[in-house]
Amino acid sequence: MTIQRVKPGDFTKTPVEKTEDPDFGSEMIPKERYTSRDFMQKEWDRLWTKVWNWGCASQDIEEPGDYLVTSLGKEEILLTRQPDGTAKGFYNVCQHRGNRLMMGQGNATTFKCNYHHWEYKLTGEFENIPDIETFPQGAPPCGGLTEVRVEEWNGFVFFCLDPDGESFDDFIHPLKEHLGPYHFDRMVKVTDWTVEWECNWKTSVDAFNESYHVQGIHPELLYFIEDKHLQIDTYEKHNRYLIPFATISHRVNETTEIPHLIKHAMKEAGMDPADFDGRISEIRPALQKWKREHGAEQGLDYSDLNDEQLTDDYHYMIFPNITMNTHADDLMLFRQRPHETDPDKMYFDAQMFKLFKKDEELPRRKPKNERFKHGERSMGLVIDQDAANLPGVQRGMHSAAYEGLWLGDQELRIRHFHKVLMDYVGED
Amino acid sequence: MELGLNGMKAAVTGGSRGIGKAIATLLAKEGCDVSICARGEESIAATRAEIESHGVKSHGTALQGRDGESVRGWMRETCDVFGGLDLLVCSLSAGGGTNDERYWYRSFEIDVMSAMRSVDEAYPHLKKSGNGSILVISSMAAAETFVAPMAYNAMKASLVTWSKQLAEQYAPKGIRVNCLEPGPTMFPGSNWEMIKVARSRTYSGVLRQQPTRRMGEVDEIARSAVFLASPAASWVTGATLRVDGGYTKGVQF
Repeated sequence: MTIQRVKPGDFTKTPVEKTEDPDFGSEMIPKERYTSRDFMQKEWDRLWTKVWNWGCASQDIEEPGDYLVTSLGKEEILLTRQPDGTAKGFYNVCQHRGNRLMMGQGNATTFKCNYHHWEYKLTGEFENIPDIETFPQGAPPCGGLTEVRVEEWNGFVFFCLDPDGESFDDFIHPLKEHLGPYHFDRMVKVTDWTVEWECNWKTSVDAFNESYHVQGIHPELLYFIEDKHLQIDTYEKHNRYLIPFATISHRVNETTEIPHLIKHAMKEAGMDPADFDGRISEIRPALQKWKREHGAEQGLDYSDLNDEQLTDDYHYMIFPNITMNTHADDLMLFRQRPHETDPDKMYFDAQMFKLFKKDEELPRRKPKNERFKHGERSMGLVIDQDAANLPGVQRGMHSAAYEGLWLGDQELRIRHFHKVLMDYVGED
Repeated sequence: MELGLNGMKAAVTGGSRGIGKAIATLLAKEGCDVSICARGEESIAATRAEIESHGVKSHGTALQGRDGESVRGWMRETCDVFGGLDLLVCSLSAGGGTNDERYWYRSFEIDVMSAMRSVDEAYPHLKKSGNGSILVISSMAAAETFVAPMAYNAMKASLVTWSKQLAEQYAPKGIRVNCLEPGPTMFPGSNWEMIKVARSRTYSGVLRQQPTRRMGEVDEIARSAVFLASPAASWVTGATLRVDGGYTKGVQF
C-alpha cells in the first residue's frame, strides 16, 4: 500500500524535505552510558548544566506571581511570571540556610522561606530578612535568589543553568520554523503526570526515538499507523520522524471493517465512519480533506499546517530529553528527567495539550501535576506498554552477557541522539 | 456425490473476499459461471481471474453495497450477460464492530437491503431455472449473544426470518431458499485477523469459547454453502444451517 505524502510544491510551512541520512557507522553504543554513575556525573557537569531545558508550559505560569517548581537532577528551579508578563527562573534555594524555597505550583506575591521567613520579591531580590540587624555582615551580597536564563517560545518555558552558554535561538534551531505552525500556545493542557520509572532517562528517550518497536510491543498500532516506511530527519541537535497516522501498516492486510483507532480519529473530526464507502487506505487523505474543509467551522485553525499534518504524527525530539508527538489537534509531550542520584531511575513527565473546538467545554481548572510510581495507575494502553517494558531493558543493561546497543537503520535517531550527547559529554 | 452444478449460472454478492470469494470460486470449480459484486476493483479482477481459471465465465461489478440501484443493476446485468440465473448467494456485509446509530442504517442497507434487492431482481430468472436456489449468508451472531449489542447481529437475525418466509413463498415456484450461519472465520484480511492484533482480548475471549480453539476457514464454510445452494440439496429449503465448529452452545431441536 502506497502512502501519499506531501510533495515538493504542495503547501507547507513546516519544512518537509528529507535530510540526508548522516553516516554514524554501525558501532555498538556502550551500555555504560546507561548504567555508570561516573557517566551520570559527566552528564550533569557537561550536559544538564549547559543545555537548554524544557521547564514548563507558559500556561502553567500564566498570571503575574504564578510559580512552578521543577527539578532536574539534584537541582530545583523556580519558574515564575513577572508583573511585566515575562518569565523568570531561579534556583529554588534560600540564601540563608539552603532550605528549599517553594514547592509545587501556585500564585504568590512574594517567595517566603518556611524556615526563618526570609522573603524574596517576584524579581528574586530580597524583600525582607527578619531581624536583619542581627547579621553584622549584612544581607548576602548576591542580593537575592540566583537567577537562571529563561526563554519562552511557542507556549513553553525553557531554562539554562549556564549563564554564558549558547543562545536559545542557536540551541533550538531549526525547530522554530518547524513547530511554529502548530501554535502550541493555542492548546490547553489537559494532563500533567510525573511517573518514577526504573530506568535511565536515555532508556526512555530511546524508546520514543524509533518506531521499530511498534510491531513488537504495540501490535494494535499496526492498524493505525505506518510504522516502517517513514521519514527520518536529523538536524544539528534535534531530530524527528514523520509517521503516517489514520492508515494501516504495510505489515497487515487491509480489512473491510474500519479499525477502531481510525474510526475514533474520524469521529473526533466529526466525520462519520458509517458514511465512508471507500477502502481503509483511502481514509487518511479523505480525513485530511475533511479536516481542511470543516476545521474552520469547528473553530479549529489549521491554516498553517500542511495536509498530512492534519492526520499524521510529526514526531520531534528536542535534545536532550523532550519527545513530542505533534498532531494538528493535540500534543503529547514527554520529558525524561534524570534522577537525583541513581542512573537506574528517572522521572517521566507526560503532558497532554489539546486544541479545543469552539463549542467544546474547556476544563474548569488547570490540571495539577500528579505524581505516581510505575504501575500505580494506567496512562493509557500504549504508554503503559512502553512503561512496562523499560525496567526490563534497564535490568538487561547490567547483564554480563550484554555489551551495548546494536542498532539498525530504523533506529537512526538513537544514533543521532548519542552523537549529540557525546558532543556535550565528550567521552565515555 | 454429484452436486449437479456443472453448467449452472451463479451470482454471489460480496464475492471478492473471504467467505463470499471462497463460495464463488468453489462454485466455479464445480462448473458454474459466476458473477460477483464488491467494493474493490482490484479484488474483483483477481477473483474473476480465479473463477475463469476453472474454464467458466465470470462477471463482476465494483459498487457500493448501500447503493440500491447499483446492486439491482449488477443483478440485472448478470442475468443478461449469463442469459439467466440458477443460484444466488447473498453474502455482502458491512461487518460489525459498532452500535452507532449511523451504522444501523449502513448495516441495514448493505446486509439486508442488498440481499432483498438482489433477490427481487433475480426472482424472474430463478423461477425459469427449474433448479433455482437462493442462499442467504447470515451469521452465528444472529443466534446467540455475541461480543456486544450491535447492528450487525440484529441485521443478520432479520435475514434468518426473511429467508424462511421466502422459502415458503418460493417453494411452489421451484426455488429453494436456505440460510447459512457461519461462526467466526479467519482469512487474510478478515476482520478477525485485525481483532486478533488490535483487540487481542476480544479475540482470545472468542477463541476460548471455540471447542477446538481455532476459527473456521473460508473453505469449510464454502463447502457447506455450495452444498446447500446446489441441486444435491433438492429437498432442503427453509433451513438454517449453522457452521461454527461448535461455537454456539444452545441446542437446536
